Amino acid sequence: MLQFKLVLLGDSSVGKSSIVHRFVKDSFDEYRESTIGAAFLSQTIKLSEEYDEQVLKFEIWDTAGQERYKSLAPMYYRNANAALVVYDVTEPDSLPKAKLWVDELKEKVNDDKLIICLVGNKLDLVSERESTSLVDEADAREFAQENNLLFHQVSAKTGENVIKVFQDIGERLYLQNKDKIQESKKPNNNNISLQRPSTNDSQSCCS
Amino acid sequence: MDADDDKGFNASPETISEKPLADVGENLDEKNNYYDFQAFLKIMRDPKADPIVKHTKSFIRNFVSQRENWTTSEQEKLINDFKVFIYDKLLTNEAFRDLSDAQIKNAKEGIEKLVMGKLYYKCFSPCLVNEKRSSDATHEQDLLDDAKLRDKILEFRFLGPEHLDIIPDLINGKLHSFIALSAKELAKINQYRSPRDKMVCVLNSCKVLFGLLKHNNKLNGGADHFVPLLIFTLLKSDVPHLISNVRYIERFRFPSFLMGENAYYLSTLQGAVNFILDMDIDSISILETDKDFNKKYSQNQEEIKDLKKQELLNPKDSSTKFPHRTVSPSPSEYILKPLDDAANSVLTKLNDFWNTSTSPTPSSPEYEDRSPRDHQEIDEHTATVLAQQMEHKEQENTLQTLQLMFPDLDPDLIRDVCIASKYRVGVCVDSLLEMAE
Repeated sequence: MLQFKLVLLGDSSVGKSSIVHRFVKDSFDEYRESTIGAAFLSQTIKLSEEYDEQVLKFEIWDTAGQERYKSLAPMYYRNANAALVVYDVTEPDSLPKAKLWVDELKEKVNDDKLIICLVGNKLDLVSERESTSLVDEADAREFAQENNLLFHQVSAKTGENVIKVFQDIGERLYLQNKDKIQESKKPNNNNISLQRPSTNDSQSCCS
Repeated sequence: MDADDDKGFNASPETISEKPLADVGENLDEKNNYYDFQAFLKIMRDPKADPIVKHTKSFIRNFVSQRENWTTSEQEKLINDFKVFIYDKLLTNEAFRDLSDAQIKNAKEGIEKLVMGKLYYKCFSPCLVNEKRSSDATHEQDLLDDAKLRDKILEFRFLGPEHLDIIPDLINGKLHSFIALSAKELAKINQYRSPRDKMVCVLNSCKVLFGLLKHNNKLNGGADHFVPLLIFTLLKSDVPHLISNVRYIERFRFPSFLMGENAYYLSTLQGAVNFILDMDIDSISILETDKDFNKKYSQNQEEIKDLKKQELLNPKDSSTKFPHRTVSPSPSEYILKPLDDAANSVLTKLNDFWNTSTSPTPSSPEYEDRSPRDHQEIDEHTATVLAQQMEHKEQENTLQTLQLMFPDLDPDLIRDVCIASKYRVGVCVDSLLEMAE
């Protein structure tokens, strides 16, 4: 089974945990591999034919979104394969904060292979709000393009687009690791993890 | 467990030694839940396993005798290299090669437990530094950091849940009993020597916090809810040498066993520890809203002064409550104290294994001198009786805490649940939460 580490970043009010709970709940799990804990979840997905119907597993690391716990984030995003940076489409202040997360990832992780997806949540509330009180979609889209990010707007409440986010990330991961994946399909080598062990550098604890 | 097995080893508290893993639940090891140390030892006693046994013994002997003091990173590398080597050997060894994947994984776990049980006194910083004969700067640093964390926890132990962004919905009568139980589970980390068992203590502590979230219907809140609870738990906890323990897990748990949920909760614990180490009075901005804060802070400072004064006057007394690095318990105390469960049984089993094994141990005086057996100068019968007494006391404590946590449930029912799940706290809390709903 291919495993990838995905870290969730975003302010505490943007509903990042709800997106993942929705994803795990709505995914059909024929492999019974999902884990639902308080802050760590895992879920397998199967890609489309175009991507060889590859099955992969996301290990989803949630982070605390409160400002005061920001300093804990590096503990979580090191060695991540993908990051979901979430903002709230009905909360204009939340986009600049998401942008700061993207900047931090680019600076600290500094890994071209890290796949970052910018996600606007609470799409279901858009119709009830004045357009002036919403995040400008074009602004978010442009930022995503400039920084080579994936971009989606979702509703964790209705489930709209949620699975698409993970499919999209999965496809990118597949393309990125195609060689290794094909290698793994050879006999006797069916369980590789592309993750680096995440807690084994001597610098990591309390340094 | 069949009868033969029971005779083969001094097995009186054996089921208890498996206690932490039973709590692990389906989530932890997903596919390979199977874990049975006894079964592994049984295979090791098969003459066909001799090469594995010999390699392992010779590694341990060399590790102990070749040099007086390794640095932590040297130790980490040596032990990891040995595991990579021996795990590979398992696949071609007659006694192991036909086993299922789950059984092979169990054998790997068994070897890690065996090796680390033997080398604990060389690798766990508090043991080394207290020995004063074979510590180096890297191990001493662990102890300094333990002491620093202890000081920070004392300094901020008076903080309330509201100071840490714990959501108001969670601040109710249940909070403190769950936090206390979680802290107690974490404190068990000093009772075990294998990195896996220590890791399970961390997971069990987290599991009690899930219980609290589930109880309040907040399981979907994710890390926003969970992280503050864990930090609050640490501030209310009394876990000697927490940093040494965390680093020991990091260094000596085989990397591929430290993935997924294990890695997540260990990282979260590290993050929480770092957060507390960085805490200072100016950085806690929210506390300006608390008018009594300064008063509480100075009052606590006074109490700490008194505490430290008492410690100086009577170091032994304080060491039993909250060991400071200068008055930490000796390695032998580490064995004698935690007799509540596994430590004793694992110890006797390990010694038993090495002593009854078919291939005799070439006895090097230096090697013998350092074996844990010699630190433990009590006979097995006394140890077993002591273990049972302490276990009983511990069970009564757990029962009382659970009865406090679930006042609406019939106390006898809670007792039945405890007995049925062998007092495994994680399992008990889960079942009781379901019943309470």
